[in-house]
Amino acid sequence: MLQGTLEVLILRSLRPEPNHAYGISLFLKQQSDSEFLVDNGSLYPALQRLLQRKWIAGQWKTSPNGRRARYYSLTPTGRKELLRATSKWQRFAVAMAKILAPEG
Amino acid sequence: MRPWWSKIEHAFGRRRRLASELEQEMDAHLQFLIDENLERGMSPEQAQAAARRDFGNRTVVQAGSYQAWQFPRFESLLQDIHYALRGIAKAPAFSLLVILTLAVGIGANTAIFSFVNAVLLRPLPYPSADRLAILWSGLGYSSRAPFSSFEVFHLRQRSTQFDQIAGIWVTNGALPGDGPAEQIKVAKVTSNFLPLLCPRPAFGRLFGPDDDLENAPSNIVLTHGVWARRFGSDSSIIGRTVRFGNRRATVVGILPASFRLIFPDDASVPSNVEVFESIPVGPWEPDGPSFLHVIGQLRGGATLANAQTEMNSAAAQINKLGGRASVGHFSVSAFPLQADTVREVRPTLLFLFAGVATVLLIGCFNIANLLMARAQRRLRETTIRAALGATRARLARQFLTESLLLGILGSVAALATGYAAIHAILAARPPSLANFDHVPLDARVLAFTLAIALGISILFGLAPVFSVRRINLTRDLRESNRQSTVSRKPWTSVMVSAEVALAFVLLTSTGLLMRTFINILHVDPGFQASNVFTFRVSVPGYAPLRLIQQKLAAFPGIQSASTVSHLPLDDAGNWYDYYYREGASPAEQTSVMADHRSTLPGYFSAIGASLLEGRDFTDTDDAQHPHVAIIDDVLAHQLWPGQSAIGRKINLSDSPQGFYQFQRDWAAIVGVVHHVQYHSLTAIVRPQIYVPYPLAPRPSMSFVLRTAGSDSGLAAAVRNAVDAVNKDIPVTNVEPMQRLVDRAHAESRFASLLATLLSVIALVLATSGIYGVLSYSVARRTTEIGIRMAIGAPRAQVLHMILTDAFAWILPGLLAGVVLCLAVTPMLAHLLYGVQSTDLANYTLTFVGVLMVSALAAIIPARRAMKIDPLTALRYE
Repeated sequence: MLQGTLEVLILRSLRPEPNHAYGISLFLKQQSDSEFLVDNGSLYPALQRLLQRKWIAGQWKTSPNGRRARYYSLTPTGRKELLRATSKWQRFAVAMAKILAPEG
Repeated sequence: MRPWWSKIEHAFGRRRRLASELEQEMDAHLQFLIDENLERGMSPEQAQAAARRDFGNRTVVQAGSYQAWQFPRFESLLQDIHYALRGIAKAPAFSLLVILTLAVGIGANTAIFSFVNAVLLRPLPYPSADRLAILWSGLGYSSRAPFSSFEVFHLRQRSTQFDQIAGIWVTNGALPGDGPAEQIKVAKVTSNFLPLLCPRPAFGRLFGPDDDLENAPSNIVLTHGVWARRFGSDSSIIGRTVRFGNRRATVVGILPASFRLIFPDDASVPSNVEVFESIPVGPWEPDGPSFLHVIGQLRGGATLANAQTEMNSAAAQINKLGGRASVGHFSVSAFPLQADTVREVRPTLLFLFAGVATVLLIGCFNIANLLMARAQRRLRETTIRAALGATRARLARQFLTESLLLGILGSVAALATGYAAIHAILAARPPSLANFDHVPLDARVLAFTLAIALGISILFGLAPVFSVRRINLTRDLRESNRQSTVSRKPWTSVMVSAEVALAFVLLTSTGLLMRTFINILHVDPGFQASNVFTFRVSVPGYAPLRLIQQKLAAFPGIQSASTVSHLPLDDAGNWYDYYYREGASPAEQTSVMADHRSTLPGYFSAIGASLLEGRDFTDTDDAQHPHVAIIDDVLAHQLWPGQSAIGRKINLSDSPQGFYQFQRDWAAIVGVVHHVQYHSLTAIVRPQIYVPYPLAPRPSMSFVLRTAGSDSGLAAAVRNAVDAVNKDIPVTNVEPMQRLVDRAHAESRFASLLATLLSVIALVLATSGIYGVLSYSVARRTTEIGIRMAIGAPRAQVLHMILTDAFAWILPGLLAGVVLCLAVTPMLAHLLYGVQSTDLANYTLTFVGVLMVSALAAIIPARRAMKIDPLTALRYE
């Protein structure tokens, strides 16, 4: 995965609602049709980095099945960052597609 | 504000909290996985095992997260500093040695650079100092002579490149105002002189065009010092008329306290002038005496080269105007005032600068060796940390922090050393530096010191990092704690050789300067200073002067007493002119310059100068009798080579009509004396001509008293003798003649003293470098030596082995030093007297000296190696 990709994906996964680490990894797996299998060794440090930058906030809550878990939610800065990153990635993807497209 | 350690505490506390939170989060994550597995129908054990497998390696998760927490740079910087302090404290001997070496090396550089900065780099403290030039006239043999009023007038007329051309002449005079009479230096200046050097006076005004008029009132400007000393800093003195010698003058202005008169040492413009008086310049006397030292301010945009071209054509025109310049070789040279002022001291300062740089370089090699050895000892620590996952960048940063911290401690110590050294040097400074009494640690000096300290720290901080780069985990962990056999580190031996070479160069140079100093000490100055005391006095004429001489001669402690217008080796207010023999061609008439001295009979025996031929003056040598003169052997040889000068006629300028009323006159030579060194001990600047006082009266004279050796009661006797004439006549302090001789030695003493100091430091550093490297090498080879001895190597062979090793560094270093010296020492020629830079004895002595001292440094570790007990050595691990 490209540098910084995981952070953007995590931000995206938190846009609909707050979620915990396990939930985030499930979301990414399902949304990418199992293309992205996120290793916990990458996910947790990425979460910590996002916390450090104050793009997400963590809060301990009880899940629907009665387990306590740390739920992450987007902060206003995180939301802005997601918007910025989304447009950047879209431009990047279009540019890549143009170059890689078969000639003719 | 919490103290800094609590910040660290806090940082570590935060980390513990974050870590426990991460644990809980991972537990929760696992629980989700277990719950799911249980739903799929696994047994609790299976569910747990599968969940653990799916979750992955907890340690990796932790390590990754910890790295994310390191983010606040400040925290990790504090951590680095914390480690670095611990590292420094754990090796106190090492740290102290490094800091001391830096303190001495950088401190010496800071001190000398401060002088280079203050003297050579900083502009003179004058407005538009970069546009100030000094002009010298050339006529006959002299190229650095003053100008006559006539010449200054005509130069001004023809100059477009100079806005201003101003002149100064310093003479001895009386302290103005009421109170005890005192002799001081008085400068006669053209009215535009002071405004060139001083933007505005502290009070009153400087001289203006009105002061140049021929019937201008007698106005004076005082320095801040004399105003405070004599007039109690009373500003109402402005406009008042005060007593000034035997006349009165009006005080029109006070100079600011910061005003300094900074002129070349040979311009006879000392910095201790206290009163300025205006002197007009005009075309009155084409043959008038040359006495004005001239400066010019370049017009904005003008270059010195253009000004010089203009001066050349002006000089050519002045040649055609008649007078003494008409014989056709009058010339004018212009130099930047700043460069000309420091001309004499520049080579000394640059030599010292090179010397301290050499000391620093030797110190750096020592520090580099120390740090290498330390990095080697810490290889195991470094390797383990690398194995535990410390990145190279992280290790590099930590090593750098440690050496930077050492560098900062070193530079703080260096600034303290440098500050102390500046004051020590100021106290011992020679006359050529006398005008520079303000040598600050300014921003440029601080930047210089910091740049050196940081440069060294970064350079040496990176050395261990390069060793980290080559880390080979398995090999290093296996070997680092073992006494490896000889590890030939080419750098180490090159550095030791370089230290020896540099120390050799510095010692050779010092040897040359010491020889110079000794030679100067043994110069025959043409007089005998021991037991001679002098004082200066202002006397209105011959009769009172003669009376004082008679009174003094009658004093029991005084063997002979006489007086002269200028003391030997006291160049201030000097007076010289052109002299020619009877029948000289016009060109020859301005080819010989000589110092003009006015004396009373008995001067030669009082000062201890030897009369080679003829007789001394007598009381009847006056204006009414045939005019006579005494010359020195140098002048006699120049005018009448190979013949006796006695009875010959010489054309000179004298003033039998009164003070400074000069006229050309013919005198018969009645005596020839041995040349007296009037200017410096090392050069015959000009020959001398002596004229009896009645033919050349001067308002201020120096008495020379030859005593039995003690000056007790002398001051009272002097005052008593002078009071017999007039109680108001000013007298300077009675001082031994030796003081002037010491002053003449000062330049060479200063250079050789500092050079010796630097050489000692260099030698100590180089020796400790040899000692340190060799000790380290012996320590590392303990096992090897043990084995050698166990299998039968005799102790002598071990000693021989280690010494061979040492001399493999020392000898190439010495040879490199000789080559370096042959290239470098010719540059010292300027500073040497009576010794060649290639002096064989000096080379030999230095070579043997350095060899012996290095051998001494090598023999101690070598003997330690010899005493190694094979059994202990083999069990050493």
